[in-house]
Amino acid sequence: MNLVELRQVVVGYHHEPLLPAIDLALAPGAFLGVVGPNGSGKTTIIRTMLGLNQPLSGSIVFPARRRPRFGYVPQRASVDLTFPLTAFEVTLMGRYGLIGPGRQPKARDHERARTALTDVGCDDLSGRPFHALSGGQRQRVLVARALASEPEILVLDEPTTGMDLPSERAMLDLVSSFTSRQIAVVMVSHQLGAVSDYALELALVPGPGQHVEIGSRKEILTSARLTRIYGRPIAVRSVDGHAVIFVEHECDTGPVEKV
Amino acid sequence: MEPAAGFFESWFLWRDPLAVAIIAAALCAFVGVYIVMKRIVFVSAALSQMSGVGVAIAFYLASVAGVDPHHAPLYLNPLWYALGLAAAGAALFSLNLNRRRLAGETVVGLGYLIAAASVIMILNSPRVGQEAHEVNDLLYGNAVAVPPEQLKIMSGTAILIGLVHGIFGKEFVFTTYDAEMARTLGVRTRSWNLLLFLTFAAAISVSTRAIGALPVFAFMVIPPAAGLLLGQRLWQVFAISVVVAVLGATLGYYASWHWSLPTGASMVVVTALFLLPGIARLRMKGGS
Repeated sequence: MNLVELRQVVVGYHHEPLLPAIDLALAPGAFLGVVGPNGSGKTTIIRTMLGLNQPLSGSIVFPARRRPRFGYVPQRASVDLTFPLTAFEVTLMGRYGLIGPGRQPKARDHERARTALTDVGCDDLSGRPFHALSGGQRQRVLVARALASEPEILVLDEPTTGMDLPSERAMLDLVSSFTSRQIAVVMVSHQLGAVSDYALELALVPGPGQHVEIGSRKEILTSARLTRIYGRPIAVRSVDGHAVIFVEHECDTGPVEKV
Repeated sequence: MEPAAGFFESWFLWRDPLAVAIIAAALCAFVGVYIVMKRIVFVSAALSQMSGVGVAIAFYLASVAGVDPHHAPLYLNPLWYALGLAAAGAALFSLNLNRRRLAGETVVGLGYLIAAASVIMILNSPRVGQEAHEVNDLLYGNAVAVPPEQLKIMSGTAILIGLVHGIFGKEFVFTTYDAEMARTLGVRTRSWNLLLFLTFAAAISVSTRAIGALPVFAFMVIPPAAGLLLGQRLWQVFAISVVVAVLGATLGYYASWHWSLPTGASMVVVTALFLLPGIARLRMKGGS
């Protein structure tokens, strides 16, 4: 049974539609990559799914007749660094929705938060101030906070922005591993090449006013489709079973720039 | 007679005013941590003015009804009007106005300006003219002389707000730190934000009547800033903020007595001195 279904959902701001109607379903263990150029509306789609924005029309259906637990990892830049909180305190906040108002975290909540930090390899950072962590460590702690909420759907918004290649791959390996626990993962990224190695399904968001194309990696990652959407010649090659995407410069004969 | 000896011998004169000043300072410093961390310091100035409008309206209505404002019935009590107007302002400011066309700080500025102008207008009407001086005292108390019931009202307000924060502190911190994440977890951030702002309104309107607008604004900003400069953990920031406010109010009151200085201003200046250790620490660390 699907966890959530978007049926003919139109997303937008201030009553202005941004994209045509979207149909989308997420099952346990799915890994959906939401990709597309900057400013195309990727974040608006996930914000609507999370309930942070209201759909302009259409409906968001929860087939199990209850809202699934969402774990949200916002863009790193949106987190306030002036708060004097430790990595553990930030992670523990993931439990607050389950604890309920007016109640204090119990030993079980502390244990879950510690486990989440261990899961992301940050157990040794528990007592460190959040603002003093490196960008990659902060991102991992934010993933731990989302995990502490025992999510059925984990939603990540550009989690690898600003990371070097090894850190980016480590983060994607980590996120990908959650699908084996039947957690559905939705990851927004403008880094098409990185996401395409991990996501089983892709939602390609071409830009305002254009239809979102959803399908398997193989269906979505075609040279013709990407060339049309990005407005530049793009080649998709297969190297050792991995899709490798290149932007071809028009004056050149071969691929020179990896996306 | 030495001023210090005179001070301690005259304890019956300053006991209640100092107690009120200390409670107001501690309360403002506590809720001020949220105000500083939310980066909305001028909300306290705007809410203070809005509570002033409430007091002015109560006096105006009393004069229209031909009732002595000092012995007005409950429905014309200035405190209720002050709380009501401040609560209305708090409800307005608690909305996430930054998403709309006007930035949140613009709305706060508009609230301040309209309220300040309204107070002046009402107090200068012929109906309230004779009471204007007393209304000013009610609006912006001077922390030197307080009526006996003021200590009870101030203590009761502090206990009530302390209880609300003690029970719902987790929700207030979460919605202040990351409201979007909180919403995705099903936390009703608008309701919690509204409740948090209502505690601001109550603290500001009651404290302003007791010690004046300037000290209230100062205690909302300076001690939390000192706390943030020195504290490594959130609980330390709250603790340092309250301790700095209590010391600033006490020493400022004493300095005012000793050197015959204006009490409110004296408390503000002394409290500001507590920023120095934090600034020195920052400079030693090479931070900004």
